Amino acid sequence: MTTDSKISTTRRHVTRRKVLAGALGATTLAVGGRALAQSQEVIVATTGGLMERSLQEHFYKRFEAQTGIKVRSVPIELPDQWARARAGQRSGNIPFDVVTATPPDLIQHADILEPIDCAGLPGIVANALPNACFPRGIIRTAGGMALTWSKKAFPNGGPQSWADFFDVQKFPGPRSLPDTGDREWWVPLAALLADGVAPDKAFPLDIDRAYKKLDALKPQVAAWWKSGDNAMQIMRGGDAVMMMVYSSRSVPLAKSGDFDFTWNQAIRDVGNWAVLKGSPNVANGIKFLDFFVQDGKEHVAFSEKVSFDSNNREAPNLVPPEERRFRPSWPENWSRLVIADYDWIAANRNALRERWVTWLTK
Amino acid sequence: MTARPKAWLLGGRHYSTAASLALAAPFLVLALVTFILPLASLLHESLFLPAPTLTHYQRALTEPVYLRVMLRTLRIAAAVTVLTLILAWPLAWVMARSSGLKLAVLVASVLLPLWTSVLVRTYAWMVLLQKNGVVNQLLIGSGIIDQPLTLLYTEGAVVLAMSHVLLPFMVLPIYSALRGIPEDYGRAAQMLGASEWATFREVIFPLSLPGVTSGCLMVFLLALGFFVTPALVGGPRQMMIATLVSQQVREMLDWSFAGALVGVLLAFVLLLVLIFKRAVRLDRFVGSA
Repeated sequence: MTTDSKISTTRRHVTRRKVLAGALGATTLAVGGRALAQSQEVIVATTGGLMERSLQEHFYKRFEAQTGIKVRSVPIELPDQWARARAGQRSGNIPFDVVTATPPDLIQHADILEPIDCAGLPGIVANALPNACFPRGIIRTAGGMALTWSKKAFPNGGPQSWADFFDVQKFPGPRSLPDTGDREWWVPLAALLADGVAPDKAFPLDIDRAYKKLDALKPQVAAWWKSGDNAMQIMRGGDAVMMMVYSSRSVPLAKSGDFDFTWNQAIRDVGNWAVLKGSPNVANGIKFLDFFVQDGKEHVAFSEKVSFDSNNREAPNLVPPEERRFRPSWPENWSRLVIADYDWIAANRNALRERWVTWLTK
Repeated sequence: MTARPKAWLLGGRHYSTAASLALAAPFLVLALVTFILPLASLLHESLFLPAPTLTHYQRALTEPVYLRVMLRTLRIAAAVTVLTLILAWPLAWVMARSSGLKLAVLVASVLLPLWTSVLVRTYAWMVLLQKNGVVNQLLIGSGIIDQPLTLLYTEGAVVLAMSHVLLPFMVLPIYSALRGIPEDYGRAAQMLGASEWATFREVIFPLSLPGVTSGCLMVFLLALGFFVTPALVGGPRQMMIATLVSQQVREMLDWSFAGALVGVLLAFVLLLVLIFKRAVRLDRFVGSA
């Protein structure tokens, strides 16, 4: 209560100063700059739900307590986030400081992202996973698009690869695939792996070959899921016996006992943090990123909730042995993930999307 | 001396044009800022960016995929209109002939769903219709079928869920039209020898037409722009035009083409309202309900 009122007083004060600085014009630019640097807020956009609640609990609150910078959390789907970030860039009214970015996003939207000085940020230098800080972003969460199935439908052992997923003779039953996020390359990539292409030879994607394989499976796809909740609902409701879904959803399904999943050929699915160039609180955004990677214990607790691994080098050693099977970053699991060529995807994304949308609508 | 309402409360003809405009101004400003300007900018984008062109409209009107989505949208909207009309008329009739607690319960049962989030109601339909869902379990439990039916992700599911969401928009106008019919009319018709069916056909139903037409128009137009329900209850094969527009805006970032799709839909809706107005002579009913 007292903290709240204190923060709001400070904020009002800052606002008044900004207005004053604006009114006084160019001579007071320095004052205006100082007022901005002292802004007591950072606006973070993430996909809502469990992810947002868990971030709140393990990172936002601690960040507020330790720095006095208030985190304003905005739940938004990724396509909307980028559409608004782009529109904001056009109108000069940038809506967020920190955004969520997939690896191709980091490349595709590099022109509107603030550069990150990986070597100059003490928290990142001391705590981030190796190779988890990039020129325009840092890893937030890591998992995979994993093949998940119902143990009731396949009591004698479920599918183990994308080839099995596409084999409706050996494993009959309705399938479910994503129609959200990065499906325009996830799904064709899985189709190529199913068609016998080696993971390290999959890029550049042979799109025609992938869609030929997908054409054959399409009649068996009973449901195209729109969100993680939706996907779990489809599996539990029995509308599909197997699906490609975020490992963060496969893990709770597997823990419930009726379902299982494999890390084999799961497509590595990384979520990054990035900061929008020219956003209202750029400095606080960077500060938040540097703060995020610290404190292994919080990362372990956070990972347990969202079933994704996160970015802290101490955390994997703190995971209990019985949990390791569910952790993508555990070496045995990590080595089985398929890593995409993000540069190629970013360069071909519009064509990939166009193809996907037309194919799906047909 | 009895207090009489002031002249300006009695009817429109007492207002000067300026006064009318002043009273309507807040709404007009709101409509301009939140609806007309954004729409105009989107349509402008579809025609003039980066250079004046009709290619976006050409694409929207000639690609079979987009045409199919548009036709499907019309078909689903029409089916929803018919289904809600069939469900709503008897309900509105019962409501119009009820009073007291019965009326309160009926009105509440129409309005409560209206105040519940569309998303919640859509998820409820998913729970009902899925393979292991309530409907399938009831059917299997009672021995009517032995294999679960595919109910979800079908056009039927889309029509059903949308009708549920839009039902209040049909019930309320019909209810208010029926409410305006004096009970004597029905009695008079029957005293003159009309059967129950003839009374309904010749007297009651025609008098309810203003409500029926405004209900149909409202449900049809709302259904054309429906988004969440078809996206969740249906699949790609049930995609409607709103989903297509949002896909173009959110994923393809192709505002020009989205604008063209919106333009085509808007032109179609305006045409439809014009035809509708001609066909049922909407103006004839204005003020009679």
